[in-house]
Amino acid sequence: MHKLNVRQICFWLAAVLPVSRLIVYPATLSFRAGNDLLWPALWNLIAEGTVLLLLLLLARRTRRTFFGLLRERAGEAAARMTALLLALFFALAAVLPLLEQRGFVLQILYENVPSFLSFAPLFALLLFAGAQSLRALGRTMDIALPIFALCFMILLLLALPDADFSALLPVFGRGMGEQARTALFSLPWYTGAPCMLCFVGNFEYKEGCAKKVLLAYAIGAAATLSFLAVFYAVFADISFLQHNALAQISKYATALTPLGRIDLLFVIGLTLVLVISACVPVRLCVHCLGEAFGGPRALHAAIVSILLLGVTVLLNPAFREAQTFLSERMWPVFALFGYGLPLLAALFLREKKAHRSHGIEGKTPRKDLSAADRTRAPSPETGRTLRAEN
Amino acid sequence: MDTKQTDKQETFGADIRANLRMLKEALPAEDILVYEFAAGDGTACAAVYADGITDKELLGALVARPLAAAPAPKTREEVRRKLLFPEVKEADDLDAAGKEILAGNPALLVDGVRGALILGTKKVSLRAVAEPQTAIAIKGPREGFIEDIKTNMGLIRRRLKTPALRFIMLNVGKYSQTAVAIAYLDGVADKKAIRAIEARIRAADIDGVPDSSYIARFLARRPLSLFKQAGTTEKPDILCAKMLEGRIAVLADGSPIALTLPYMLTEDFQSAQDYFVSPYRATVSRILRLFAVCVSVFLPALYVAAQLFRLRLIPFGLLIIVSGGIRSIPLSPGLEMFFLLAVLEILVEASVRMPKYVALALSVIGALVLGDTAVKAGLVSSPAIIIVAIAGISAYTVPDLTGTLSLVRILYVVVAGSIGPYGIVLLTALLIWYLVSAESYGVPLLAPFAPLIRHDLADSLYKADLAALDRRPRALRGKNRTRLKLRRDAAAGREDEQPSGEGPDGQAADAAGEEKDA
Repeated sequence: MHKLNVRQICFWLAAVLPVSRLIVYPATLSFRAGNDLLWPALWNLIAEGTVLLLLLLLARRTRRTFFGLLRERAGEAAARMTALLLALFFALAAVLPLLEQRGFVLQILYENVPSFLSFAPLFALLLFAGAQSLRALGRTMDIALPIFALCFMILLLLALPDADFSALLPVFGRGMGEQARTALFSLPWYTGAPCMLCFVGNFEYKEGCAKKVLLAYAIGAAATLSFLAVFYAVFADISFLQHNALAQISKYATALTPLGRIDLLFVIGLTLVLVISACVPVRLCVHCLGEAFGGPRALHAAIVSILLLGVTVLLNPAFREAQTFLSERMWPVFALFGYGLPLLAALFLREKKAHRSHGIEGKTPRKDLSAADRTRAPSPETGRTLRAEN
Repeated sequence: MDTKQTDKQETFGADIRANLRMLKEALPAEDILVYEFAAGDGTACAAVYADGITDKELLGALVARPLAAAPAPKTREEVRRKLLFPEVKEADDLDAAGKEILAGNPALLVDGVRGALILGTKKVSLRAVAEPQTAIAIKGPREGFIEDIKTNMGLIRRRLKTPALRFIMLNVGKYSQTAVAIAYLDGVADKKAIRAIEARIRAADIDGVPDSSYIARFLARRPLSLFKQAGTTEKPDILCAKMLEGRIAVLADGSPIALTLPYMLTEDFQSAQDYFVSPYRATVSRILRLFAVCVSVFLPALYVAAQLFRLRLIPFGLLIIVSGGIRSIPLSPGLEMFFLLAVLEILVEASVRMPKYVALALSVIGALVLGDTAVKAGLVSSPAIIIVAIAGISAYTVPDLTGTLSLVRILYVVVAGSIGPYGIVLLTALLIWYLVSAESYGVPLLAPFAPLIRHDLADSLYKADLAALDRRPRALRGKNRTRLKLRRDAAAGREDEQPSGEGPDGQAADAAGEEKDA
């Protein structure tokens, strides 16, 4: 039985993935690239989109999961080792969004200076979410999309009257070298491909699936770029100081005077999506730990949550240093796992066409599937019912 | 009656004295009486019955009189023929006869005839079928279920005149032996769900079942959940509509509330009236209900969070009024709101249980003393009272959820008062995660929103026109999905159309529809 639906993956790409790029990322981009902030983002979006496309081609030719394919080609030990490394990567990838969220929440949602305890319950939620099934993760995407679409559009509309898009000119003022460096340093915000790698084999690939997923990704990318454009158009030269862009962008809307900061309600809505997006790497980290060691999901979720809580407490007073370290020092790690590993998987784990056609017709002998995948392989005749189940 | 005693598999012989002795030993209760009489030739006959729930008049007129007028019959078949009675069953052993006697159906014994005959003369005093107090309709049918399961089954049968309507009869309760019926439409309801429900009810080991809510507890996958696990209704028209969608009903004797399964949260936002008014009006009503639920849950918490942590959420003009109102309040905003919500719950609880004559006095006390005077005394602020009142009233737009909503509202206030706005966000995320992972007999609780089932949205938050509701909800997994076929000539408004009758043609068309689905 498939755990995810293609629609849910589309919603994740269109709504949940972009929202994590709307907090500190815009200010970081403006700090490095100034009014050219759109270009490094575009390069990264194109690169990530290309890797996603290759992963979709991989998913098209197989019914196995990434770890199932690895088990078959490289053996159990290699699969377990890769799962462990990916788990560590997801834990690392979860750190920056959590720190960003901490700063965002404590500065935007509170007028006083609350203690870290106000933020700590998030880790209880991460524990709960981590222990849930992948199907539940998919279903949260169904909820997240309408919230994101409504809140994001309203915030953007509220910000538009204050936007002066001439601030984005001249184009390529900073030169290609600076743009390339900015693109590399912003890799921690591009972790969609390894997530997709874990989704391979957990959803049913159907004809036209790649188009839908890429379209959803393009919509998400357009949302990110339009937000960046409006953000810079509103704040121009002082945009690098606006670290919580999501909440800052619409605060000058004139409609708010008689209504109070009504935009904060939509910011709270987007914070909800942000919380859901923080659960994704944690849940996938638990998934990878399960592939590496087996055992109960709740135990892995508890370990990951406690680990992340510890790291967040440790880095609590040093967000700037942590961000600099992750983006300027650790970018090769993010490049390796964000683009390198999915790329290698897409190129070397592809199944042959003959195998694929058998798979589609449902004639693949079940004994060919690995033990882990045997339970996941759908019966072709029930494909329609399964869609409704997810 | 002691259950252990009825479990004996003792069989009746031909000697009436021995049989009566057996029955007396098995049923020693004082209300189990023996009516002894003689047949025309002097042969001893006896009817053993439970006093108060057996129609004695019927017993005398249709059983004793014909037997007394003629020589005694020699076999059970002959006795059957002698009786002018339509509902007669045979019982060979003590256990079967004992159960029937306790259910109100007397056992007839004739000397020289082996075994007993069970006569269906059960008589229970019933209230009339009336409109239920909890589901009053402005438009639409006004009948409601009563406490008698047979009457309730009849009310369903009257609306679904099809052999596909099936009942699985079970007895639940070690001592109460309450009749429980699982009702479903064969070919429409999901068979797996029917089997699962039957197995769970059969596995229920409980002393007694005073109400269907006891059964609901056994049917729940997450018995400790804050959220409902089964739909409930007191109206046969709603129950039949749900069964036509593919749901399964569970009726319990002694309870006017029927359970419906599988349950989806969106059901509670639907009202019977939505189907009798225009789809636009119904859609507006449903959106209003959702908005009211959000107001009911979030408004008190947001007010507390805004006061404690984020005052800019409140417009400046209103902020001045609020700050003027709360200046002299001794309680913190969270505590003040918690206190007011507790008062609201007490008032609701008291108004449900008090005699009608006292209700007016209580509302005066509630509104004036607790409201106005508390504000004047400086114990609570006016904005807080207004917010609690709005939240309380809003919850009643979805009556089936009021219990859950009041608990969730208090949880939100506690979280908002301690953690602030982020607490509201986190609790919402937690509830989302919890609800998306919950299922009711294979059907996701949040369907058709999570997972998104596009077709089923037509009767969820918005109500599409009847013509668009041509398929049963996909989430319910029934195999027969077609429920409406609009004839083209009818759609074109031709007057010479033939009514699309039920029966063979209709069935054939339905089968064709199913084929198309496949």
